[in-house]
Amino acid sequence: MIEILARYGRIYGAFFKTSLVSDLEFRANMTIRLIVDFLWYSGQVLMFETLFRHTDHLGTWNLAQVRVFMGLLFVADGLYMLFFSINMDSFSENIRLGQIDFLLVKPINSQFMVSFKKADTSKLGNLLMAVAWMIWSLSKLGDWNANRLFWLIILIPSGLVSLYAFRFFFVTLAIFFTNSANVQYIWYQFYHLGMKPDSIYRPWIRVALFVIAPVSLMANVPARALMDPFNPGLYLASVLVAAFFLYLSHRFWNFALKFHSSASS
Amino acid sequence: MLKGRSLLRRNFAFFKLAIVSQLEYRLNFFVDAVMQPLLGTGVEVLLWLGIFQTSGPTFGGFSMQDYLAYVIWSPFISRITSTWLYEYKMIAEIDNGSINGLLVRPMSFFEYYLSQFLGYKFFTTSVSLVIPVGFILYFRLPTDFSRLPIVLVSIFYFLILVQMMSFTIATFAFYLNKVYSLTAAKNFLLWFLTGELLPLDIVPEPYRSWIIGLPFCNAVYLPVGYLTGRLSKEIFLRGFITTTYGILFFAVAGIILWKQGLKKYVGTGA
Repeated sequence: MIEILARYGRIYGAFFKTSLVSDLEFRANMTIRLIVDFLWYSGQVLMFETLFRHTDHLGTWNLAQVRVFMGLLFVADGLYMLFFSINMDSFSENIRLGQIDFLLVKPINSQFMVSFKKADTSKLGNLLMAVAWMIWSLSKLGDWNANRLFWLIILIPSGLVSLYAFRFFFVTLAIFFTNSANVQYIWYQFYHLGMKPDSIYRPWIRVALFVIAPVSLMANVPARALMDPFNPGLYLASVLVAAFFLYLSHRFWNFALKFHSSASS
Repeated sequence: MLKGRSLLRRNFAFFKLAIVSQLEYRLNFFVDAVMQPLLGTGVEVLLWLGIFQTSGPTFGGFSMQDYLAYVIWSPFISRITSTWLYEYKMIAEIDNGSINGLLVRPMSFFEYYLSQFLGYKFFTTSVSLVIPVGFILYFRLPTDFSRLPIVLVSIFYFLILVQMMSFTIATFAFYLNKVYSLTAAKNFLLWFLTGELLPLDIVPEPYRSWIIGLPFCNAVYLPVGYLTGRLSKEIFLRGFITTTYGILFFAVAGIILWKQGLKKYVGTGA
């Protein structure tokens, strides 16, 4: 098992290195992408800062707490964009043009191959911005327990896994529909819901965003672990939901592959 | 006269081409024209219902009904006035050299894409208009439907500016490799400046006035504000003037960059 993990780790290292070299080839593009992400983060910050000019609380959180939530959101989003997003975004087009066949014939797990073949290394800059924002927002939070940062080591990866698995389900639909570019927007709408403090939603929506479309696990659960009363049941449930969705995504991928017919190669 | 008629016929063919291309993948079209606006509107409604649950009966001087009307129209109109697809296609034509096939045809690159863009927007708008209208009627939210025709005219006028901006951005592909991220940068900037991210009423002064002075708020804030009764006719009509300035600015920039770019461009291989 360890040998297999080490092998996949080495393969991913090679993918990452190749991606970095390839991204550095177009430096102007990489710089603009960084600026774009800065604009996106600024948009989120501006939105909440403007809303808090007219109210003291959003859901159960005040401005300082929502800033920490945004920090966690930016970190989770940065990691997601770095490792997964570029592969998910290009999948539908790869199916339509028949390029996916080249990935399927490689002698490694096909889900791993299509999910990780490229890293978006320009997002390393996002991560730096995100971590800087998070440190600043935590410094403004006042009374909080630094030991709780430990939970982030578990909850951020589990949030990422559930986000990836949920997105991968939408991406896999391209095998059935050939062109599913617009279907991905459905996923974006769920993602959009996960980008807000979930305490503003009604209870049934909160539950749905946890167990049906698990986008709340990305930033809301880690933020609760930092700022709300200790709740081990919630942390365990989020790990279990992530594992369950990862398993489901793998089953669905294997099922979908049975229907794959090469498009044009 | 004959030239004008052939120009119209040619552009109508491009217009229809966009509609046919959209219908090629029906599920994709259904999601684009129905699911996307439905979900986008649903998400915004949920968000503002949540905000009003904790903030009280008014927010920034407007009631929940006002905000709901705004957020129901806003995703619908912003989807009309934003563009990724055709801008990416234009960039790709220059980037991969397939523009060679278009340059030798008796038409202009700009009109080819403008007519397709308008065809695509006309068709998807016609189908998806039923969604905000349905929401507004069901929830009995403030909207003056007699203003809808002039609002749609202003939106389609703004689309000429949108296409001018896309054309200008696409011309950068003559000078730089990989300019797709410029599209994203532009769209994120417009996300703030159009009033899509937030109703501009709650943006503090003097930023609000600065933003309203630019042509971009004609994409969302002015049409939605006028339609829902938040803004007067004078402010709305001023939007036509700022859109015209925007069109002129980007037309000049686009033409200069296009002409210089074509001199620099070497079409090989494609």
